[in-house]
Amino acid sequence: MTEYDWISLLQGALVTVSLSLAGIALGLPLGLGLALIRWAQVPVASPVVATLVSLLRAAAAVTLGLLVFFALPTIGLSIDPIPAAIVTLTLSTCAFNAEIWRGALVDFSREQYDAALSVGMPKLLRFRLIVLPQVVRAAMPALVNEMTLLVKASPAVAVLGVVDITRAAVRIGANTYRPLPPFLAALVIYSLVVFMFVLAQRLVESRRRRLAFA
Amino acid sequence: MSTIVQTRRFILRGAGIAVAALATGTLGGIRAASAATLDEIKKRGYMVVATEDDYRPFEFVQDGKPTGYDTELLGILRKQASFEIKQEIIPWTGLLPGVDTGKYDAAVTAALITKERQQFLDFCSPVSDATVYYVKRANDDSIKSIKDLSGKTVGVQAGSAMLQALPQLQAMLEKEGGKLGSVVQYVSYPEACQDLAIGRTDYVTNTVINLQLLIKEKPGVFALGQPVAAKTYIAWAVKKGNTSLLEFLNGFLAAERKNGEMYALQKKWLGQSFEDMPETWTIT
Repeated sequence: MTEYDWISLLQGALVTVSLSLAGIALGLPLGLGLALIRWAQVPVASPVVATLVSLLRAAAAVTLGLLVFFALPTIGLSIDPIPAAIVTLTLSTCAFNAEIWRGALVDFSREQYDAALSVGMPKLLRFRLIVLPQVVRAAMPALVNEMTLLVKASPAVAVLGVVDITRAAVRIGANTYRPLPPFLAALVIYSLVVFMFVLAQRLVESRRRRLAFA
Repeated sequence: MSTIVQTRRFILRGAGIAVAALATGTLGGIRAASAATLDEIKKRGYMVVATEDDYRPFEFVQDGKPTGYDTELLGILRKQASFEIKQEIIPWTGLLPGVDTGKYDAAVTAALITKERQQFLDFCSPVSDATVYYVKRANDDSIKSIKDLSGKTVGVQAGSAMLQALPQLQAMLEKEGGKLGSVVQYVSYPEACQDLAIGRTDYVTNTVINLQLLIKEKPGVFALGQPVAAKTYIAWAVKKGNTSLLEFLNGFLAAERKNGEMYALQKKWLGQSFEDMPETWTIT
């Protein structure tokens, strides 16, 4: 592999990380919103969200990407590769996030909620001070797990013309007819990226534990 | 949770191929009015063309820059055109469906002219000959001619015209009392050639151009065989019915053949020039 091949792999890594972070940043709150709609059993919206989440969970990321990028122009909606990639990854991850959030919300103890109610805490404050901190803690490991899965699902957006780690490795392999070195390099880069996510989770959790026992 | 995760991982594997096949197959039926005609292109000031990212020697990316036969031919057009030409470099999977849905105005790629593709695309004048040959390992003495291919395992790109041409080889083999062996489909040709080299398949079918390039690069590893299908050509394409853009591109291609520029690029990239190509080529 030449020096330029390494640069292109690192550029691919930058694309993979940026797209994943964008998908996570949008997908986390979106997933929470969807989960809250179901948790609160909002009439009409709740079954609609349930169906949507099931559909998105069933759709492979590649399918979603092709749908967003190539099928939407037929109804007059045309978006560029990068936004299309972010939309794809966000849709894909928010459905899984919604289920993780919902699981944590369902497990949340009703007694605490009632206790907050009994001291006359308003609804929003109740959610922000009592529910959210505990739900975040309960959902964190599964959410981080989903983040790492998103990183690994991201090569799907290569069909839109976005050059991520995997696509960069494919290009190098196609030029040299020696696919092993670029794919090994790609594997190392993916490992580093996923390791950083896990490391961040550990840091957050140990900090929280220290605060909890302080 | 774990089952959800497992299922998604599992689906991801096969989905790419399935979706590609589905998109190419079904999107042909959806009609949209978004592909730009020549007038619309001139009015908005730019044309969007799609080229592939790993299809040597036609279009590929080297040191971060697109290059290859089609890219250089496009470079000449870029100098002549009164409008800007935007080049999108994408993997093969979404390329033709993207032209069909109007995402790109033209496919400036080495697309084989096939009957199926003619149903949703209009092909320009051919830019190259692309008759399908077979290639084998140089040290494999069991294959000397077409009839020796009987029962052997063949590697071919999924969704490619080479895959669709296999029945022709099957007919050739059956005429001699042989049969077509098992067919292994790959996402792209570098993988197929890799597997041929290590002996997982016995031969690979691809166009004469791609195979000559392969042999030039790996002389000791591969050896060229014979044609395994009828004559075929490669051409750029626009969305079906986009006649004004088709005529514009055909005018350009005809001029570059006349002044010899196209043949010079063919010699440079494809190793030989094809001066006897027909001006139009349709499969009926």
